[in-house]
Amino acid sequence: MNAVAAPSCLECKHFKNAPAVLEAALRGLSSLSSAYAAVRSEDGLCAVHDRYVAASSVCAAFA
Amino acid sequence: MAEIAQTVNSRVLTRRSWSNLFRQEDWWAIWIGLGVIAVAVILFAGGSSIKWIAVAPQKWSHLADVRQQLKQHGLQYAALFVLWSVSFGLGAAALGIKISRFLPAFLLVYLVAGGIYFLGLWDQAAHYNLEPPLVALGLGLLVSNTLGVPRWLDPGLRVEFYIKTGIVLLGASLPLTLIAWAGPVAIVQAAIVSLVTFGVIYFAAVRLGLDRRLAATLGTGGAVCGVSGAIAVGGAVGARKEEVSVAISLVVVWAIAMIFVLPLIARSLHLSTGVAGAWIGTSEFADAAGLAAAQTYGGYAGNVSGISGNPDAAVAAFTLMKVIGRDMWIGVWAFVLSLVATARWERTGISSKSRAAEIWNRFPKFVLGFIVASAVVTLVARGFDYAAYKKEVLPALVAPLQAFRTWAFTFAFLSIGLTTRLREFAAVGSRPLVAFSIGVLVNVVLGFVLSTQVFNGFWNRLGQ
Repeated sequence: MNAVAAPSCLECKHFKNAPAVLEAALRGLSSLSSAYAAVRSEDGLCAVHDRYVAASSVCAAFA
Repeated sequence: MAEIAQTVNSRVLTRRSWSNLFRQEDWWAIWIGLGVIAVAVILFAGGSSIKWIAVAPQKWSHLADVRQQLKQHGLQYAALFVLWSVSFGLGAAALGIKISRFLPAFLLVYLVAGGIYFLGLWDQAAHYNLEPPLVALGLGLLVSNTLGVPRWLDPGLRVEFYIKTGIVLLGASLPLTLIAWAGPVAIVQAAIVSLVTFGVIYFAAVRLGLDRRLAATLGTGGAVCGVSGAIAVGGAVGARKEEVSVAISLVVVWAIAMIFVLPLIARSLHLSTGVAGAWIGTSEFADAAGLAAAQTYGGYAGNVSGISGNPDAAVAAFTLMKVIGRDMWIGVWAFVLSLVATARWERTGISSKSRAAEIWNRFPKFVLGFIVASAVVTLVARGFDYAAYKKEVLPALVAPLQAFRTWAFTFAFLSIGLTTRLREFAAVGSRPLVAFSIGVLVNVVLGFVLSTQVFNGFWNRLGQ
């Protein structure tokens, strides 16, 4: 994956995409899939919008 | 060190694409699977074999036989444990799981999986329906939903890591010519079912008033590759967290129910192993769940009257249908749906950038390992005629790799049950349940018709 230019979600403090955090937040994820899988890419959770978003996304609440 | 991934405040910041080679389990499944195959091929070329360490239980009648086997092969079982521990432990450590937490948990997984493997080789196992995948799954579900699973076991319960490693090893049993011959048919059948199922779930969900992002997440979960499909598309379209959780819950519960239901129906209809494998591959959502069902059905061949075909054909047909026909395309689904979400759906306050590069980013890389494994063993076996293959290549190279694969699958099946804690799942609500269930019904019926009526001659031939 290429570096993502700021200010994308990847570099926002409201964005959480560590696999262990995702597996704890999305119950059942590790039963038949995994947060360490390639299909997840770098997606993560946005604490501001309460959404699961791509790391390359952007919004006005970037911090 | 800017080159490697850094974790900052629960974020993983990627700086170089090649760092994924060591921080995604898809790649670790490839390194482990192809590493074992490489060693096996080198030993075979030198006139030796990896079979000493690829130890597996043999048929037994009395407990005394089991004791005898353990006494005779105890050192091999210990060596196999060390090999798996080092391989999976290194992978787990690279993924960020502490090896000191992984190893004790994996020891228990190994011991219980070994017990289940032995149970499946009991000469009365078929009589009592003690197929190892179902026993592993049932035992895991029972324990996790009654007694509970201690948290220290969690690091060792890596369903996807084990199943992907097993699928790479499975490639060694499938000639590349077979993949080339059956792959296009699998893609056509899977494409028909995926498109129809997605359409049914999506439009049923929208019709029931659900958000389009939830509808797409549910649709991909049911039509393409289960939980992996749901998280890939959920992220690509920017679904709400609770919507992703709802999709995961529905997929897991339905997928587990199908592990028991599909083999049961196929058995009652006396479907051949090839046809049943194709149907399961079309109608199961998740790789691990589908392989549990397909391996169970393969075990019926020769043990249940009226079921014809090669035992391995169920797993082979399933894998072609699911891995080649469905899993490979998840990146395309995610990319197309992210384009539609950006251009057509209601704004969320977040702008997504739809990039074609995501097709590769989300590609399930373990599929590459599966194909390379197939190519390597096909190349090695090229100079042997059928009689020489059966006499030399099969026992010294392919059979030991099949034993490794069975171990990996058994770790996965046990882990499914132990990680599925139904009380922890999100409440799904009636409308998502209805929309998804309609899609499941259409998927199962359409998959059955295509496997048993339209392409049945093809799948039957695969099973001979």
